[in-house]
Amino acid sequence: MIQRILYTIFAIALVSHASAQTKQVEDSIPKLLDEIVVTATKTENKVSNIPLPIQVISAKNVQLSGSQKLIDILQMQTGLVIANNPLGTALLGYPNPFGEGIQMQGLDPAYTLILVDGEPLIGRNAGIINLGRIAIGNIKQIEIVRGPATCLYGSDALAGVINIITEEPVKNQLQLQTHYATNNTLSLTGSGNIVHKKIALELFANRYSSDGYDLDKNIYGKTVDPFIDYTANVKLIYNIDHKNKLTLSSRFFRETQFNNYLIYPETLPEIVKGTTEETDGSLFALLQHRVNNKVSYASSVYATSYSNLANAYLQKNDSLYEKIQLTDILVRPEIQVNIGKHLSSLFVTGAGYNYEHINSTRYKDVNDLNSWYLFVQKQIQWKSKTNIIAGARFDKNSLYPAQLSPKIAIAYKFQPRFILKGSVGAGYKAPDFSQQYLNFTNSLVGYTLLGARELGNGLQMLQESGQIDPNININPYLNEKNLSPEKSIGVNAGFDYTLNAHAVVRVNFFRNDISNLIESYNLPFNKTNNQSIFSYMNLDKVFTEGMEASFTYNFNQHFSIFGGYQYLIAKDKEILQKIKNEELYKRDPVTYVTTLVTKSEYKGLYNRSKNNANLLFQYNNILYKATAFITAKFRGSYGYSGLNGFQNGSGVYDDDREMVNGFVLLNLTISKKIGYRWEAQTGIENMLNYINALLMPNIFGRSYFINVNFKFEK
Amino acid sequence: MKMKTLKISLVAAAVIVTGLISCGKEEVPPPPPPPSVSVTDSIEIPFSTSHYTFYSLKDSAIVNATDSATSQWDFGILFVNIIINSHASGPGNGGVITKMGLFDTCTTAPLSGYSYDTTSTNLAIDAGLTTGWYNYDLNTHVFSPKAGEYFLIKTADGHYAKLEILSVDYAGYTPPNPTPDSLIYTFRYNYQADGSGNF
Repeated sequence: MIQRILYTIFAIALVSHASAQTKQVEDSIPKLLDEIVVTATKTENKVSNIPLPIQVISAKNVQLSGSQKLIDILQMQTGLVIANNPLGTALLGYPNPFGEGIQMQGLDPAYTLILVDGEPLIGRNAGIINLGRIAIGNIKQIEIVRGPATCLYGSDALAGVINIITEEPVKNQLQLQTHYATNNTLSLTGSGNIVHKKIALELFANRYSSDGYDLDKNIYGKTVDPFIDYTANVKLIYNIDHKNKLTLSSRFFRETQFNNYLIYPETLPEIVKGTTEETDGSLFALLQHRVNNKVSYASSVYATSYSNLANAYLQKNDSLYEKIQLTDILVRPEIQVNIGKHLSSLFVTGAGYNYEHINSTRYKDVNDLNSWYLFVQKQIQWKSKTNIIAGARFDKNSLYPAQLSPKIAIAYKFQPRFILKGSVGAGYKAPDFSQQYLNFTNSLVGYTLLGARELGNGLQMLQESGQIDPNININPYLNEKNLSPEKSIGVNAGFDYTLNAHAVVRVNFFRNDISNLIESYNLPFNKTNNQSIFSYMNLDKVFTEGMEASFTYNFNQHFSIFGGYQYLIAKDKEILQKIKNEELYKRDPVTYVTTLVTKSEYKGLYNRSKNNANLLFQYNNILYKATAFITAKFRGSYGYSGLNGFQNGSGVYDDDREMVNGFVLLNLTISKKIGYRWEAQTGIENMLNYINALLMPNIFGRSYFINVNFKFEK
Repeated sequence: MKMKTLKISLVAAAVIVTGLISCGKEEVPPPPPPPSVSVTDSIEIPFSTSHYTFYSLKDSAIVNATDSATSQWDFGILFVNIIINSHASGPGNGGVITKMGLFDTCTTAPLSGYSYDTTSTNLAIDAGLTTGWYNYDLNTHVFSPKAGEYFLIKTADGHYAKLEILSVDYAGYTPPNPTPDSLIYTFRYNYQADGSGNF
């Protein structure tokens, strides 16, 4: 497959090269790829100098969309799809406690690293980081790097990295925004920048609240419960002298959600009310020191804590029904040294230490996880046309074998307007805490889930308390079994072709091979209540492959258009092997005729759309100082296990009756400047009113908003 | 609640019909076809009970739980666990062989080689999450019996049958309670009353 991709690229390259020769060659690299990014190399560099597929969402586009939700902005990008945690959708219209994340290159949200200013957010819930934790009012740009970025960022960056870069205060400024939308959604934002001599200060605050909504009136409680979010950011930059710069920043977020739902302790329903409180805070200190014009270093300390506290009370007597608590703390000192005169030939090396501490009602003990890491990266510019980045990272952790993650990326500029890019990298994802330490017994059904490291201990406790038959030999399971990290090899190859100063086409082919996927399994014996005991082991091998393509065309100062498309195949290798061995059958649910599943019938992993497309259209009317901003996203059809109760016994997506139809989300925003300082915005989100309460509970029907923005600069 | 869809198999009916037609035409009547009965049935397995629901293949009927210590039943189901009437599970003479392949093309059952339940938690039919007779989607909670898997069963009184579980559905959603009360098992089987292993 990789070979085929490469041949295709070369073929396209040759054709493009031939056609380009007839046109006038421009000396300078066109401006469209001149955006400065930091995520791909941990140093500032132009997009056109980086041999990796990188995309930038500018603050202007965020602002023009008028949206307040990061996930809504991300899902409009090429190849990014909102993936509801299936555990959440299975709750059939109940509030989804896990939220939704971004699927990238066909990989689940757990495989994309989310960074704010280069530092990771912690607190994944079933693999998903609640993106509502990031306010969008002070975003400078969003950088999306596709393909494994583990060589710089460590665990979780298998599919890629989404880095949210916040603004740096550069001038005195005051900004206020009021946003009001359907479902009594109100957002109030204020930010102020003060720049005085060597000191620059930024203050940002946001209050965001909504009544939530109910997509299924037949089910007690709302689909999304009412909530209030508070966000505060402070950033202080002290330019000590021309060699030293100190940055201090702090981020605080708290969401309180007001839950109200039914439980079924016995057969009679009981109303449960309570709150879920998510708190996220961080402190970051960075000292950048330039030793001379060749050497600089940056030393930093990042400390962050995340907590999730859910309290539920029975309405009838106000007694505590359930309390679930999770606290996660990460402290990370890091040092990075940059050596080199030119951006395109830097040598970067760094080392850091992670101290992570986790404490939850569902884990038996408080758990500490300490690790250290070392990374190196060399950028080479060779004969002015070739850029190479080679890097590797070494992670040493107490819980699993040390990981070495290398990566190499090459860009070749045939001409300034035509850049070929290719990269190969390794990525890994550490087993999460629940896969290691969970000790949970479902009170309703009675099954038990034990993390891999808790297995021996948990089994002994179950047998001592008589929940496992004393005749069963649990000895083979008492030795702690280590889970290995999930590993991937990612290959990305493509090109950026600049047609002229206004237009660029970008194409990227990708293939990710993931092994050691951690899956739950059940032990070969049951508890005395005949319920299963589950634990985790490294099992599956899957791959995803496909193509991402996008084009930008700025017709003139009035019109611009951006479009993207992703083609995706994602399959389980073990299933393919079973099909090859003629071991996988399916049974027609109507005729009960059993047949073998063929290779062509197997459509791949559930919840992956083969086709995705997105379109952005912008129209500026200079005379009226108004802008129309239209975004559309098409998500093609995808499979859903057991859709409408369908079952054919194959356990894989091989039948159209499991297919969820594709849909289009269409948003329109109109902005108008009033005077120099004021702006009014109004918009319609989900104009086509797409609703799927069961599978897409995160999508409310058509909704409306108005914004009033004020900006004062001095 | 029992949703029964007992029917004499079309195959059996067709054999009888062709047999009748043949009778008129041919001089020597063919030997009578073996009385293999083909049945498709659905039974409800409630979540609320802690005892197995017992079934008799001969009678195509649920056997009262009070008769659990008799040989009147052949298999029992509780949640996803299936017991066979012999050894640790009952006084019968039953056993089971789990087969992979096409149910329809299976024409004979061997007379020996049947497994039985050794203890109450070590059952002959594997009901494990990944290894067992069904696929279970941890996310959507859908059960689907693995296609291509069926059972050759020796009944409590020593007769032979082949059985395939066709579907397992949730049932008993009583609003506003959205959690199901029970599982509906739909299965089909051929039961050979003459004591041979021919279907």
